[in-house]
Amino acid sequence: MSKAFGSLSRRSLLTMMGAAPAAVAISQLLPAKALAAGALNIYSWPDYFSNDDLAAYAKKSGVTPNIATYNDNGALFSKLNSPAGAGFDIVIPSSGWIKQLADKNLLLELDHAKIDFSALDQSLLNRDYDPGNKYSIPKDWGLLGVVYDPDAVGGEIKTWQDFFDAGAKPNVSGKVRLTKDAGETVGPALWIAGKDWNTASADDIRGTKDFLKGFARHVKTFSGFDPAAMANGSIVLAQANQAAARGAIQQNPKLKWVVPGPHSEIWVDSYSIAAQAENVDQAYDFLNFFLSPDIQVKETEYLGYPAAIAGLQGKLSADTKNADLIFGGPGVDFSTLTSFIVNPDTIDVYQEVQNEVQAAAGA
Amino acid sequence: MSAPSGAARRGGNLLLGLWYVLVVAFLFAPIVTSIVYSFNVGSLGKQTSTFTGWTLNWFADAWNNVSLRRAVQVSLTASFWSAIIAVMIGSSLGFALVRHPNPLVRRLLSGLTYILLIVPETVVGTSLLLFYSVTRFRLGMPTLVAGITPLAIAVTALIVRAGALTLDRRLEDAAADLGAGRWNTIWFVVLPHLAPAVLAGALMSYVFSFDNLVISSFLTTPSINTLPVYLYGSLQYGPSPAVYAAATSVFVFTIVLVGLAGLLYRLVLRRGRPRK
Amino acid sequence: MAKISPTSTASPAGRHRAAGRALDHLFAALPALWLLGVFIIPLGFTVVFSFGRSSFGGIKLDFTLDNYAQALSGFYLDSFLRTIQFALSGCILCLLVAYPAALFIARQQGARRTALLVLVLVPYFTSFLIRVMSWQILLARGGPIEWLLNVTHLMPGPLDVLDTQTAVFIGLVYAYLPIAVVPIYIVLIRIPAGLIEASRDLGASAWQSFWHVTLPMSRPGLATAALLTGVPMLGELVIPALLGGDKGVLMGMAISQQYLATQKYALGSAMAVLVLLAVAVMVAVLVRLTRGFEEVSA
Repeated sequence: MSKAFGSLSRRSLLTMMGAAPAAVAISQLLPAKALAAGALNIYSWPDYFSNDDLAAYAKKSGVTPNIATYNDNGALFSKLNSPAGAGFDIVIPSSGWIKQLADKNLLLELDHAKIDFSALDQSLLNRDYDPGNKYSIPKDWGLLGVVYDPDAVGGEIKTWQDFFDAGAKPNVSGKVRLTKDAGETVGPALWIAGKDWNTASADDIRGTKDFLKGFARHVKTFSGFDPAAMANGSIVLAQANQAAARGAIQQNPKLKWVVPGPHSEIWVDSYSIAAQAENVDQAYDFLNFFLSPDIQVKETEYLGYPAAIAGLQGKLSADTKNADLIFGGPGVDFSTLTSFIVNPDTIDVYQEVQNEVQAAAGA
Repeated sequence: MSAPSGAARRGGNLLLGLWYVLVVAFLFAPIVTSIVYSFNVGSLGKQTSTFTGWTLNWFADAWNNVSLRRAVQVSLTASFWSAIIAVMIGSSLGFALVRHPNPLVRRLLSGLTYILLIVPETVVGTSLLLFYSVTRFRLGMPTLVAGITPLAIAVTALIVRAGALTLDRRLEDAAADLGAGRWNTIWFVVLPHLAPAVLAGALMSYVFSFDNLVISSFLTTPSINTLPVYLYGSLQYGPSPAVYAAATSVFVFTIVLVGLAGLLYRLVLRRGRPRK
Repeated sequence: MAKISPTSTASPAGRHRAAGRALDHLFAALPALWLLGVFIIPLGFTVVFSFGRSSFGGIKLDFTLDNYAQALSGFYLDSFLRTIQFALSGCILCLLVAYPAALFIARQQGARRTALLVLVLVPYFTSFLIRVMSWQILLARGGPIEWLLNVTHLMPGPLDVLDTQTAVFIGLVYAYLPIAVVPIYIVLIRIPAGLIEASRDLGASAWQSFWHVTLPMSRPGLATAALLTGVPMLGELVIPALLGGDKGVLMGMAISQQYLATQKYALGSAMAVLVLLAVAVMVAVLVRLTRGFEEVSA
């Protein structure tokens, strides 16, 4: 190896390493919105606010919110539970976790004088997961239901027992989707047994294991709901929320959606303010902007999930497709719906059942 | 005996060539798909698996999504810095794994390298989170970069080690006997031999740092969010084609960058060649 | 010439060797210090916590082996064994696909060779998750691959491979292919062509030359590739979730759950320590058996 070649390799190595800082410099040149005076830090699911409304807020208040994203409620809890969670102002917890976050003093008690609750749907307020709305304001909500192909299933589904029976049928077995959420998998089995998922004991929960594990062999997937899979027939029976079902029905109008009896779930993704928030006033300002009826209507049309204002259905624009599905369709008895509340004493039992069901499905 | 070997060699090479083409097609299929589907209209604002129509809107949409745009910037920056650090430290480690005079040190370093690979990312992520909580160290870009370097370092170290294992020790001894100092030996004999491994390590480090999901998700802050974390979260409610558009843009940007680096490389090559 | 001890600093060569040792120590110390700070010490916290007691989202420092007992219980042990089987299959598949490709690239000359290698790496310049999501699109029923298979009559009928183990292995091989190709390639290019020629001149067929010369000499590359693919596959949780329907519970998901869903950090830590120990033992045994990390010189 001649000296000349050696010096080439060295030099080229150095040149390429020079390219890297250049790249860094270039990427810094991408116009980052200059942070205006005051800031607002939000921790949320990705793509959970429409770009237009965020831009409108930035224009009005001069503040562009920093939105960091999480992919799991547990991650939200872990982050807030550690000093690393400092710096977040608004967080978007799901109803199930609000009590745990509040018990650990991770959420600020809301000053009701600073928020306009008048436009909100009263039936969504003061629910079991946050009595008096001390810590949360509903952002949007969803229902646990079933979307299915009536031809493949050969009939209608009205109760959770129907759902499990349908799953065992020959054209349906192997094409079923169960959720990955432990509560939503075990819940239906508990409801069939007449139990309440928030007061069930560890034995009650474990009692569903055999039934669910027996059902597991019919399950194809626990992954995130994919409307395309229902549209093309590789899944014919699925647990899903109403907005996801709407997406599937949009692609395949044959499909049907139902919220099975005797009970089911309503979950509410909510706005909360972190206990360590530094920009509390800005947070209230943001909340009041986003809770105004016009913005809520636009957000609903963007997300496909219903926001929490009263009389929303009437306010949606006329060309919203399958608008009634956004609200769960006709005939939903909201009095039979409850929210799951994560309970440290039982959550690991729920997860244990979920794990064994998933393992049984993979066997 | 040697007469048919020519044909056999050509046949063998043909088969290998065919395999290579299949592999490249296999590797490119999803990237072509993701580029094509960033033009897909989708349904109700979400991505669909059947193509529903052409539109350019998603690129503008991705740009206007401040959160997504910032995540891309952070990812690019963090992975560049991580790659630089990992290449230096990883090459150093990889070389020491083979050449350090003390076998006990080599064994310890080996163990260290393996541990880097073995520990599940969730554990690394939570360890770092707990560590920074206890030590009250502020999370930010430095902690993110530091957190994703270990895996990149391990990858680089092992690739450089593989390269160094083929380096004949006698070359270095010969250089020493001819009076070259250790540094000169490294610079003029070892490094050129290891150059492919080091460059490969650099590329791999960049790629793995950019794609890091689990550790990054523990180290994000309000202003430091990465693209993979954003993407994985979007799977909960269904991704829109905008994230595909963002990924396509990143791809094009990175190709251009690497292409530029490659051009610089060839320019240097041409300048270095002795003129007749 | 009198034999001078290599450690004596009496001669210029000796003094250079001493300076060389300082440099070698630097090469070892630099990574050790960096990793100590950003990796080892934080990991130490995990080991300490594995002996503690979990409260929901918190840890009480204690000394108890309960977490280890629970981690070794039937379900998690099963899960661990299944994960090992999974990673082993994935690793072997990946190496089988990677080796011929690496061999082809290594046999080319000069700039062409670099270009072919870079071509294999180019797809990785975009986000891994997007590519896995694209596999969901490709493998879906009514998708492009089904169309291709039907048109070529290779596998007529609807494609039902998504959410199965097959799809997971496709995704796994896809994800880990470059990390397998690169180390094998790096080692293959250093095998002197003269050796192969000599082998052919002595009458060996192409296959025999490969089996008896090339393959043994590429051992370091194979060992590295096996390590770099097999071990991280043990912690894989994204691909089985996205392409496999999330059926079965692999180690990566089981540990992750303890930190996220059930907030039992001590149990998660214990599981992590156990995995670390078990895999370390396996790797040590493998390395000893295959002698894959010994020097191979011409």
